[in-house]
Amino acid sequence: MTNSVSDLSTHDGLVCSRCESPLEPGDLRCAICGQAAPVKDAAAPHTVTVTILRCTGCGAAVRYDPKHQAPMCPFCGEAVKVESIEDPLEQTEHYLPFTVTPEQARDTLREWLGSRGWFRPADLSASAQLLELKPLWWVAWMFDAEALISWTADSNAGAGRSSWAPHSGQNDVRFDDILVSASRGLSDHEVSAIRGGFDLSVLQDTPIGGGEDATLEHFDMHRSQARQYVSSAIERLAADRVQQHSIPGSVFRNVNVAVVVRKLVTHRISLPAYVLAYRYRNELYRVVICGQNQRLVIGTSPLSMPKVVFVVILAIVLIALFFAAAS
Amino acid sequence: MPTDLAQSTSQPQQITCQSCGAKLVLGANMRSALCPYCASPSIVSRPPSTDRPNPAFLVGFVVDHDHATKTVRKWIAGSHMFARSDFKAAVPELTRGVYLPAYLYGAVAHTDYAADIGENYTETETYTTTDANGKRVTRTRIVTKTEWRSLRGNHSCYVVDVIVTASKGVTNTALDAIEPFDLRSLRRYSDSLIAGWLAEEPSRSPHECFQLAHDETVEQVRSMLSRFMPGDSYSNLQHRVELSQEVIDLVLLPVWSYAVRYADDRPPVQILVNGQTGRVGGKVPVSATKVTIAVVIGLILIGGLLLLMAGASQ
Repeated sequence: MTNSVSDLSTHDGLVCSRCESPLEPGDLRCAICGQAAPVKDAAAPHTVTVTILRCTGCGAAVRYDPKHQAPMCPFCGEAVKVESIEDPLEQTEHYLPFTVTPEQARDTLREWLGSRGWFRPADLSASAQLLELKPLWWVAWMFDAEALISWTADSNAGAGRSSWAPHSGQNDVRFDDILVSASRGLSDHEVSAIRGGFDLSVLQDTPIGGGEDATLEHFDMHRSQARQYVSSAIERLAADRVQQHSIPGSVFRNVNVAVVVRKLVTHRISLPAYVLAYRYRNELYRVVICGQNQRLVIGTSPLSMPKVVFVVILAIVLIALFFAAAS
Repeated sequence: MPTDLAQSTSQPQQITCQSCGAKLVLGANMRSALCPYCASPSIVSRPPSTDRPNPAFLVGFVVDHDHATKTVRKWIAGSHMFARSDFKAAVPELTRGVYLPAYLYGAVAHTDYAADIGENYTETETYTTTDANGKRVTRTRIVTKTEWRSLRGNHSCYVVDVIVTASKGVTNTALDAIEPFDLRSLRRYSDSLIAGWLAEEPSRSPHECFQLAHDETVEQVRSMLSRFMPGDSYSNLQHRVELSQEVIDLVLLPVWSYAVRYADDRPPVQILVNGQTGRVGGKVPVSATKVTIAVVIGLILIGGLLLLMAGASQ
């Protein structure tokens, strides 16, 4: 089943009346702006009423017990069910399909090894031995949001005697389909190399492609933690965005941002990638290939020691010759 | 179960215990009562009014009575050196564990600000001085100077989770001393969560609480702004805060309240314990005698030092 991003209905329709971010089941307040969630059964008494809550088991009066943090019957020990605090572990909602086959990934590795430049050993492509090719679904949050970013910074633009001048500003910024990695299997460096290759408009409910032995990564954060994580990612992105587009000048320091986020919609998704391991002369190297675009490859490869030594010696000789000529 | 009682909100009310039938008198500011005859916990629900909205949220007690008493004893014994000795030896009396009414406030803050921003730079300066041989020489040194530039701008942010007291029994300063509460474990208010405990109704007017919350928020924005300024330093920071889209909800907070009577001629000191985190707050009475002795000792030491120095220079 394929969804387009616009008709995803993962949240049960409740939207914060103040910042228009969707509320999730169990939310008492909006996680972004703190507005109380609407209450469904707001039955207020019209007259003064006195009640004693009784245990359904033995009829004794029930008391709230700090040890269990719930109302308990002191006689039969039965706990009264109250609305519990919901903070579930994050779960993948959507999968992006593999569009690169394992064969293509293997070919890509050969090609990549062959194009590593002059410093690589000449026999790298021929004698590198592929040990493992692992399809992996790595996890990430994808969000859309509107943000009002207030910023201040020092930059070189308009500088007087000091090399810095202060600037300030406020910009409306839209974030569309921004990926924030939650992966433990891929490093941030690897993620940033392959993140551009995904088609985020096609989301599926089940993992497709990748074969039987694909690894499905899980989120290891609770919802409240995840929200903090995404919020701090938004702040970082906001700082990057204003440096690129809003702050005059080319060199910056003391970049401060304050963000008012609205309409924050977050999806938890799993994205495809191939993780490959190869051996060259008893050393192991790792390569990651984007599962939807085989041109995005990142990894490590060996250097040819003789070539490096040769260049260093050549450089020293050239410098020596230069000084000899100069004197 | 409706009762036939007067609905006045300022008069003490008489209620009938639903368990043994005894008549109880309940303060108008209380939401719950314990029957002295059969120990049944009653919860009184009154129709909400603007002065007395229904609680929206609640933070449950985590710290029990024994633990709270132990923490208070420790806190009293460990109070600072100028505290009165009879206070340090006093035994705290529990007045009550109570769900304290407070308002949880949030807003969007838009601020106009203007400030002078200091940007440092270094300059090489020449100066003349006398060297070791008594000759006048010219030397250079690097000095740091500051260039002042004016900056104006706007700052917008959410301010959330500002908590102010709604009870006349506890001042906002006293509540500040035992904050923060972990609002991640906030629950939607339900009668069963206060069963068996005392719960107070708000006794300060919403208008007064709103003002308190407003002031606390403006103060928060001010400290945010001071961290927001670029440059190496700043001065003349002026700002005007406008709060919009304000939300305010009544929340019940768990508080253990103790009274410490340390002298017959003094009023008892109120000490509060955060019923969720165990944090203790209160004002320690300072001993005038101890402060006087310390000052006198200080003066004697300074005098002695001066005498010694005078003796050494002769």
